[in-house]
Amino acid sequence: MAYQRLALGHGVGLRTKHFAQFEAEPSPVDWVEVVSENFMADGGRPIAVLEKVRRDTPVALHGVSLSIGSTDPLSRRYLRDLSRLIERIEPAMVTDHLSWGTHAGRYVHDLLPLPYTEESLEHVASRVREVQDHLERQILLENPSSYVAYRDSKMTEWDFLAELARRADCGILLDVNNVYVSARNLGFDPEDYLDGIPPERVGQIHLAGHSDRGTYLLDTHDAEVSPPVWGLYRKALCRLGRVPTLIEWDERIPSLGELVAESHKAAAIEADELGPSMRRAS
Amino acid sequence: MTLAETQALLFDHVTEPEQRDRSAINHCLRGSSDLPAAERLQIYRGMYVARLVDALRETFPNLARFLGEETFFDLGMDYVARYPSDDYDIGRIGRRLADFLRGHPDPERPDLADLAELEWARNEAFFAPRGHVMASEGFKALPAETLVHAELKLVPSLRVLLLAHDASELWRRLERGEPAGPLVAAPTTVVVWRRGFEVFHCVVPPPEGDALRAVWNGSTLTQVCACFEGRPDPAAEAFAAISGWLSEHWLEGVT
Repeated sequence: MAYQRLALGHGVGLRTKHFAQFEAEPSPVDWVEVVSENFMADGGRPIAVLEKVRRDTPVALHGVSLSIGSTDPLSRRYLRDLSRLIERIEPAMVTDHLSWGTHAGRYVHDLLPLPYTEESLEHVASRVREVQDHLERQILLENPSSYVAYRDSKMTEWDFLAELARRADCGILLDVNNVYVSARNLGFDPEDYLDGIPPERVGQIHLAGHSDRGTYLLDTHDAEVSPPVWGLYRKALCRLGRVPTLIEWDERIPSLGELVAESHKAAAIEADELGPSMRRAS
Repeated sequence: MTLAETQALLFDHVTEPEQRDRSAINHCLRGSSDLPAAERLQIYRGMYVARLVDALRETFPNLARFLGEETFFDLGMDYVARYPSDDYDIGRIGRRLADFLRGHPDPERPDLADLAELEWARNEAFFAPRGHVMASEGFKALPAETLVHAELKLVPSLRVLLLAHDASELWRRLERGEPAGPLVAAPTTVVVWRRGFEVFHCVVPPPEGDALRAVWNGSTLTQVCACFEGRPDPAAEAFAAISGWLSEHWLEGVT
């Protein structure tokens, strides 16, 4: 098996602040991504807006609570609710994170990194297979932004992610900002990360802003993509080819126009590196 | 260290760091001269707290407005320590906040627990399924023999609260930025519902409030009508109340 990359183009995260515009006007981007958990409720405006957007725009569901790396059992309720949302929205992609965030039935609501060991690898691979069997589709896992590294780790994150994708037959969501943030925080070369990721497994790229806190970078998603991350994105495109690319912006969210302009910037860089795309939003 | 042991250690240090021995962290995590392991973990601790308190603030905007930034943050910390999140949806972290406030009442402001209950009900109504609305004609067409044992079914978004204080008044003052002095205790029935994507609430005085609570608790229509006994014209008042519920789109049907 392999991962079949889709030709989606460039998208943005659909956030509450922009609901009214997405309700009233055609989508200004090729596709949108939503945080799955925010749309799992049976009613209310969010799911109504998403159903409207989905009528003419591909949607990616991006989860934050799967906790694929946890040693807790997978939440049956979560998988049931995710399945219902998938059935309702028919998303182009279903993604979550290479991380854990639950212990003893409690949620930390964060994306904690794993120790990169054989034990973790086998554990996560078996759970990804279980999730994919349950959902009857492949998922993509995103590399987290990290502030800690484990003494027990026996391999790099990129080697872990590459081997996980092979063993579990899943896709990779490569967050280029997270690569940069983790590289700065943990002291590795971000280009080594890009070199270690199997291109054929990458189904999506994330770009976002971060904050410099002096001794570390914080993955805040509250600003424009930084120049070094744009530079890394160029290098990623050269290695991976054309990959659906999303701008994530979750705090201090700008106007939709500014957000779309950031997405157009990514499209321009892609065109610069790889030539013009066959598909663009009008 | 096994994966399970590692996760237990980190989870406890992120959620309850004051009760933990930091030396274990140094054996587990790699630090650097400019950012030791414990400080690195503190980044996650800070985000954990901020994220949960932000979620509470979003659900309880008027309670947060009343208490102010610092006091609301302290309340959030105390609450999360007592009721850590056990739901994948961070938006449900506040579902026990009203009970928590009743268990730890501010002697000067016992009405805050009722405000929290009202705000939680408004949050639930916002995300409730839409459901169907029963038309007045449909109700009037039901045969009398059916109605005797029938139960009225409320629309999914509707909540009926019995509060010790009229928290809707406190909510109104806070929304308008008016002084929000303490309320006099007075048992109050408040109904919360959604129409379209907008959430509403209102006080329903007795005996209509008692009748609506009877519906909420699954009583038969006969029992609901019994709430109007002792009134000058109980049947007419019961009929008027039910007609009002139908016109407000509070009823989904009859079972």
